[in-house]
Amino acid sequence: MSHDAIDAGAPSGGAANGAVVKRQLPPDVAILVFLRDRGIFVLWVLLLVIFAVWNHPYFATINNAMLIVSAASLTAIFAAAVATGLFSGALDLSLPGVAALSTCVVGVLLKQFGVPVPLALIGGLGVGFLCGLINGYIVLRGLNPLIVTIGTLSVTSGLAALVVGGYAISGVFELEFMGSARYFGIPSHAYIVAVVYLALTIFLTRTRHGIRMRAVGGNSEAVRRAGLSDQRYKILGFIISAMLASLGGIMTMALVFEASANASPSILFTALTAVFLAGVSLAGGRGSLPRVLIGALVLATISDALTIAGVPPYWATVATGALMIGALVFDKTMTESISARLVKVSTMTVHEKASK
Amino acid sequence: MSKSLENAALRLSGISKHYGYIKALDDVDLEVHPGEVVALLGDNGAGKSTLLKVMSGAHQASSGEIAVNGRKVDRYDPRVASELGVEMVYQDLALIDTLDISTNLQLGKEPLMPFPLNLLGFVDFRRMHEITETQLERLGVRTAPAERPVEMLSGGQRQVTAIARAAVRLFERGKGTILMDEPTAALGYEQTKMVEGLIRRMADTGFAIVLVTHNLPLCFNVSDRIAVLNRGRKVADVPRSEADHSSVVAWITGAERAIA
Repeated sequence: MSHDAIDAGAPSGGAANGAVVKRQLPPDVAILVFLRDRGIFVLWVLLLVIFAVWNHPYFATINNAMLIVSAASLTAIFAAAVATGLFSGALDLSLPGVAALSTCVVGVLLKQFGVPVPLALIGGLGVGFLCGLINGYIVLRGLNPLIVTIGTLSVTSGLAALVVGGYAISGVFELEFMGSARYFGIPSHAYIVAVVYLALTIFLTRTRHGIRMRAVGGNSEAVRRAGLSDQRYKILGFIISAMLASLGGIMTMALVFEASANASPSILFTALTAVFLAGVSLAGGRGSLPRVLIGALVLATISDALTIAGVPPYWATVATGALMIGALVFDKTMTESISARLVKVSTMTVHEKASK
Repeated sequence: MSKSLENAALRLSGISKHYGYIKALDDVDLEVHPGEVVALLGDNGAGKSTLLKVMSGAHQASSGEIAVNGRKVDRYDPRVASELGVEMVYQDLALIDTLDISTNLQLGKEPLMPFPLNLLGFVDFRRMHEITETQLERLGVRTAPAERPVEMLSGGQRQVTAIARAAVRLFERGKGTILMDEPTAALGYEQTKMVEGLIRRMADTGFAIVLVTHNLPLCFNVSDRIAVLNRGRKVADVPRSEADHSSVVAWITGAERAIA
């Protein structure tokens, strides 16, 4: 059986007596697993080194680091929204619409009703909560999430335009504290991203509900058979996802001082690029949030470095696209060779070997 | 079957199931007792899977009665079945590939960290792995380490994990019925032997086991009793000692009948 140690037939005495010996992964597999799961960290460090040498002395400065962080923040928030949706098993395309609607609601609350900032923010996030809840409920009727959220994308962006009466609300300066403001030299957005990623990562990996939510994305049937409601966790995924989109929209507004009903799908695709670069699976349940953050940073790093180097900006677009496809191929190759190494004996069928 | 009705872990009487004009099951009786492995055989379309689904509550019988532990059940669906201690191991296994063995086994009753972290739902992974190791040891199963993701397991390890999960859910009550649909399909020879060993040990611990299979060696190696369906009717129900390979084949193909 080589390393494939299933010894269900062996007497349990060996394991029972004293120290349980942990069977480690064979070293070749461990290296492959490391590369697959940590590859993006390696890639990022590699990029940083290359760009630091290439663009010396302009790249490796504190100031430029802050620029990268700043540029990565919005992508990171939207990427967290997309990734959370995917962890629970659904790709939510309505996120830009939800972001626009929340932004417009906050803008109107602040400018036309003079609502205090904290209440307006709660209102904006509340819009996200509602959108997620509605998306979730519709999808649970057994409809395809992609199509449903394309519908709600249209509905929410239309509603956003209705809320602001067709015009952008400009001069929204109340939110500067979470926009262009810096604290201790670090952009405010970086703090928000740090808190969101830390809290969400802990939720997804350490707590019961987070784990179950990922389990639903992985195999909702298994969750149902464990006697849990898979539907509750699916809706939870939609809600967290939509609220993060609201947050992203509000952060954008805080940066540009303007509430616009324009739901730009480009942020969604940038976020998707970061998410897939990080190896999150479209099939659901697979991926890690810290890697998504690095994915957003990689995108920002590339476009920053190429700009410094004076390379035309469309090369950055070309590079990130190629990189993402490369990441997919890499992930697939790694996963396949890992399972090939681990599961050598499982493909023999009963009919070939056991039944006669 | 001299055992009384009270002894049957699961008892079906007069079960019929129609799909429109098609009669998938016709007046089938079947019972399984604690500590007993019943192999349910039959050709494709004989009604094995339908009967198993009726037993697990996934399908409602058109007529007939179901009794669990001697008590007649009126409304029977998968949730009720699970509450009464009837667990199904599906052919598709329904494991969560990306999560580890422990999480797969303990899903729904994860141990929490001590106060105050439990209020936030923090899972105590160390304890969860310990619980899993202990349970697997009680089953006499050693697969991969409990913290290994299921996607990194071989086919046999997955099968063992899926069977262990059904057993683990019955552990607390100490008895129950496990229904298995082709537990060794797609397994190699050695792995089939391991699953056979596990099934036998679970029966010896007092579980009642119903096994649907096409695999005659498996059937002869682990079962105490063999029941055969042919076109929706039960055509044989005999102790294993009274059956041999050719008689079983004759029952499956419908050439002979042997109802006790």
